[in-house]
Amino acid sequence: MALEVSHVVGGYSQIPVLKDISFDVQDGELVGLIGLNGAGKSTTINHVIGLLTPHKGTITLNGVTITQDSQAYKQQIAYIPETPVLYQELTLREHLELTMMAYDLDHEAAWVTAHDLLKTFRLDNKLDWFPANFSKGMKQKVMIVCAFLTQAKLFIIDEPFLGLDPLAVNDLLQLIEKRKQEGASILMSTHVLDTAQRYCDRFVLLHDGQVKTEGTLSELQAALPEAGESLNDIYLSMTKVDRS
Amino acid sequence: MTELFHERLQRHLREMAKYLRLVFNDFFVFALLFFLGGLGLGYSNILKHLKADQWWAPFVALLILAITAQIGRYATLIEDADRVFLLPKERAMHAYFVQARKYSLVLAEIVQVIVMFILTPFLRVALGWSLMEVILLLIAQLVLKDALLRLDIASAYQVTGQRRMNHWSLKWLISLVVLVPGLWLTPFLSFVLILFIDVFSWLWLEERWPKQQIRWREQIKIEDNRMLGIYRFFNLFTEVPMVAGTIKRRRYLDGILRLVKPTHSQTYLYLYSRGMLRGTEFSGLVVRLTVIGMLLLYFVRGQWLPIFLAALFIYLIGFQLLPFFQQYDDVVFTHVYPLTEQQQVKSFVKLVTLILAVAAALLWVIILIANPTVETAGGSLVVELIEVWYLARIYTPQRLARAIKNRG
Repeated sequence: MALEVSHVVGGYSQIPVLKDISFDVQDGELVGLIGLNGAGKSTTINHVIGLLTPHKGTITLNGVTITQDSQAYKQQIAYIPETPVLYQELTLREHLELTMMAYDLDHEAAWVTAHDLLKTFRLDNKLDWFPANFSKGMKQKVMIVCAFLTQAKLFIIDEPFLGLDPLAVNDLLQLIEKRKQEGASILMSTHVLDTAQRYCDRFVLLHDGQVKTEGTLSELQAALPEAGESLNDIYLSMTKVDRS
Repeated sequence: MTELFHERLQRHLREMAKYLRLVFNDFFVFALLFFLGGLGLGYSNILKHLKADQWWAPFVALLILAITAQIGRYATLIEDADRVFLLPKERAMHAYFVQARKYSLVLAEIVQVIVMFILTPFLRVALGWSLMEVILLLIAQLVLKDALLRLDIASAYQVTGQRRMNHWSLKWLISLVVLVPGLWLTPFLSFVLILFIDVFSWLWLEERWPKQQIRWREQIKIEDNRMLGIYRFFNLFTEVPMVAGTIKRRRYLDGILRLVKPTHSQTYLYLYSRGMLRGTEFSGLVVRLTVIGMLLLYFVRGQWLPIFLAALFIYLIGFQLLPFFQQYDDVVFTHVYPLTEQQQVKSFVKLVTLILAVAAALLWVIILIANPTVETAGGSLVVELIEVWYLARIYTPQRLARAIKNRG
């Protein structure tokens, strides 16, 4: 079992945003974290990457919690934020090098991977650019390249599909597929439900800080038989129940 | 639109007043009075010994007046959001621009009058002018500023395609064309020339602007730069949140940066060293303090004073560097990367040690040049070594430990 989130209560302040949520992500599995704005997706992710400490409950990654050994825990994670953030003083080349240093990668091998990725995302001629000169989509691609440079066991991807061009979305999905084959797990939050439906193995539906349902698409369909076929329908019916 | 400008102007003036109160604190006013008093005394002494009809006098007057004519920029107070929200009101924006120009003009003309007032005794003595001539030149100077600010309003529109009418070279050209005949021949000529230019530019603009689009982006950029300049000035006296450093590539420093070996334990040093050398905020601080210290030490004589001054400047530099530790706290990767806080502290201490050592070495060299006695040179070397070691290796980690604890 790769990631296990168990009975986590947490949030930014003393008032909990997450109310006792539990789910897991298996090796080689892509789990979609689905929910409305403010449902607690980003808060969940912030807890998993260690930016926030749970008030209650535990988050275990291959048997390690962040309090036991933060370095071993973080070593296994690669994160792609929703809004790209870069170091303003570093060029693209230096961002890649910094990632290699931080994850203690073998530089030669990592550069081979890096050049492949850069070519895929058409950044290979921009190695000496500063972040200030990148468009938002390009910055997002830099985040993707940096994350997939690592040999992380768990990739955490926050809303990857907005802002990327269709070609890049396709390339990203292929990258995810490849890493899945190699046994890595992926936790991805998104609003783009038809893409999620096609690619995710399982779904965790968050609503108001709680896990409403989780499971594969067929499990969700079985649980809510009158809701409809697609993830979109199930999701809408789930939010409707709450609204009435 | 006129109302919008006045609303903004009020807000702007309130903000300026807030900062000006901080700038003109008692100490600064006192120092300023002394400084102005000294200048005034010097000026009146020069005037006393001045002979009439000096060949260089018109050059001095020309330089002063031409520079003064450039003072007082066009303050539009427009904001980034305007190019979205005010876009549908583009034609009406002209009234706004006119109001803005009025305000800028008043400020600029006050400066012109003050400078002319100060310059009057000089013109009368060195050029032997009558009061009438001085007044004619004053009027010419006022109209000149009016014309120059019209160029600014013109360049808010795309009246001349890609070329901007408020380029500094054009402004200088007009200033010289107007002032040179006035100073060497007769001020009446300046007066006629600038009246002609001003009226012509006015007619030309009135004819052109209604058919043109506003250059929103450029205009916003100009205004942002203007405000940044003001904030930078205030930043010398007090903390201004709007001033963030800029980043320069500085390729020539890559040689130094390459000395950091790209290994896991050096990750933070890799990041910090680049941030330090390419960001202008902290590197500028270090360079400024070091240069001021060096200048001071060059002129100071004595046995103990140089030692004390060198120690003071090293302390100031070391102290000001501490906030740089948190420079990357808001970049999420600083927390996500599998790195420890010990590594971060260690790298930072290394950086501080290096910077202080270089600064200390430079200061010491100056001491050696200015005060080459065994006691001063030797004493300052010992003091500097102990201080750098203590500041970087003992004091900094202690303070950082506290900063990390507060981080939560």
